[in-house]
Amino acid sequence: MREETRREAVWQFLAYAFILLGAVLTLVPLYWIFVASTLDEQEFLSTTEPRLIPGDSFLQNFESLQARGNVQFVGHPGEMTQYVDFGFGYVYYDVWHLWDLGALESSIFVAVVYTLLSLVLCSMAGFAFAKYEFRFKKPMFYAILATLILPIQLLVIPLFLLMSQIGLTNSYWAIILPWAANPLGIFLMRQNMRSIPDALLESARMDGATEFQLYYKIALPTMKSSLAALAIILFLFQWNLFLFPLVILEQGKYTIPVAINQLVGAQRVYYDQIMVAATLSIIPIVVLFLVLQKQFVSGILAGSVKE
Amino acid sequence: MATQDTASQATPTARDRLRFVRQSVSHRLPNAGEGLVGYLFLLPALLVFTVFLGFPILYTLYLSFFRFEGVSNETVFWFDLGFFSYELTRIADLTFVGLNNYTALLSDSLFHQALFNTTFILLVQVPLMVALALVFAVALNASFVRFKGVFRTVLALPVSANLVAYSTVFLLMMQDAGLVNYVLTSVGLPAIPWLTSSFWSRMTIVGAVTWRWTGYNMIILLAGLQTVPQQLYEAAEIDGASRFEKFRYVTIPQLRPVLLFVVVTSTIGTFKLFSEPVIINGGGAPLDSTITIVQYIYQTAFIDFRLGYASALTYVLIAVVSLLSAVQLNVGGEGDA
Repeated sequence: MREETRREAVWQFLAYAFILLGAVLTLVPLYWIFVASTLDEQEFLSTTEPRLIPGDSFLQNFESLQARGNVQFVGHPGEMTQYVDFGFGYVYYDVWHLWDLGALESSIFVAVVYTLLSLVLCSMAGFAFAKYEFRFKKPMFYAILATLILPIQLLVIPLFLLMSQIGLTNSYWAIILPWAANPLGIFLMRQNMRSIPDALLESARMDGATEFQLYYKIALPTMKSSLAALAIILFLFQWNLFLFPLVILEQGKYTIPVAINQLVGAQRVYYDQIMVAATLSIIPIVVLFLVLQKQFVSGILAGSVKE
Repeated sequence: MATQDTASQATPTARDRLRFVRQSVSHRLPNAGEGLVGYLFLLPALLVFTVFLGFPILYTLYLSFFRFEGVSNETVFWFDLGFFSYELTRIADLTFVGLNNYTALLSDSLFHQALFNTTFILLVQVPLMVALALVFAVALNASFVRFKGVFRTVLALPVSANLVAYSTVFLLMMQDAGLVNYVLTSVGLPAIPWLTSSFWSRMTIVGAVTWRWTGYNMIILLAGLQTVPQQLYEAAEIDGASRFEKFRYVTIPQLRPVLLFVVVTSTIGTFKLFSEPVIINGGGAPLDSTITIVQYIYQTAFIDFRLGYASALTYVLIAVVSLLSAVQLNVGGEGDA
């Protein structure tokens, strides 16, 4: 027994050591981005030894980022010119101009809409592939799987031409719709939904559940942790999308990666502003992780059916 | 469909019996989810998929048999109803060249170099990252570990870092007098030419990509671990299985589909590598030892404007990766599942 507890202690020590080492190695470059964002650019580039203590130039760097005329990083209150006159007072109604979106808000808006839309499409498709039999199922699945390998960079030209044919250039829909049926999401949902026992679905059918109820009352709740993981994947995918937004969006609608890319000039790279923008762009992701954190509960399927 | 089913239930024929046997073999109950319902669930995704991915993919294939001569303004089809008009213009001016784009690939040494670089990075990076992600996921799934949420968030953070920013940071860290060499030399190890030797510059890419994507894959594996029935571990414990045996005989087999997903998508991700070598190695330096396939395709398409040849390159890449994924799926046991 004592032997066993000692071995257990060794395992625990190893696990902690590994996780801590990983966490430290992960944080170093991130911390560096943060430190760089608080330093004056000259100060940052001139030192050869690594700086570990943050400086005090963050606000100054942020101001210089915001002061750039061509790209707005964080939005500002818009000018509302449209209103209704009720006789006793004016009521503004044009909500779209309450706040002029900057790159940060644009990115959040696009990523949220995309994630929700794609979660629905992917989970439905994944459910179909995992739990139904139909003609051409395998060929269709492998066709979707095969598109995973397509470098998006290469679809830019035909996609741009397509978007201009249907009038979606400079629209957020142009960067939401093309990958809404995300092959990766369909693959992930299909792989995970295979673990839903057929007997569970069958017993629900016997109780008179419709096929759609099977999907949203059984499949979706049991897949909570997978859906949370997929939400992160989809959000980050859209968050990091670069080349196509660059091609299709015009100034004023830029998302974060496109906006940051504007800071890498041919003559000069604005390190300080890049680092400030990068630091700020991590915050929404941290919030996302914390929100979805609760969904990672274990053993959802355990004990749902006696085998 | 439905009427056929009720009719066959009244008088079972040999064909029905055969179907029943086949269904029982595949562990499916008879009548479980058949026919149109599957299509209905699939329809929304399929619609979006066909319009926004299907068309560009097929158009790229079409392009690969042509030489691109420029953008076209020629109208192919139009109508004008006064209140609504529509004009479809031809997308591009093209000259048919047959298989010339594909035969040219065979003697393109830069393409061969790009293929070699990508394969090299793949063989080092994917096993390293998947192993790390798996160990992190299992460790973080252990009941005794505290602050799980914090660690999970920290490890998954790199993927949220902006591509341009993180590549810039790696570029600065890996300089000859950068942070990494500073740490190495201060503990008495020799400095490594991270960006100037062809071997180490590939390793820098491996390091950067592993740093960015390990936590992401860990999240996927962690979600997969949640679906492993707890009873299996309890049963294994009763049989006196050690921690390693539980990992080997319960976790790995149960996690196989998700593990396979991670391996396949990581392989594909490595083949799509583009931005990191461009920023960190300035587009393939030193001496094209880090130029990747997609980077080469990008150069061909958007700098040389050889869209036809770039499309042919794309299709060769698609063929290679499809083949590799098919092999991985078969070896991973998707075929018999």
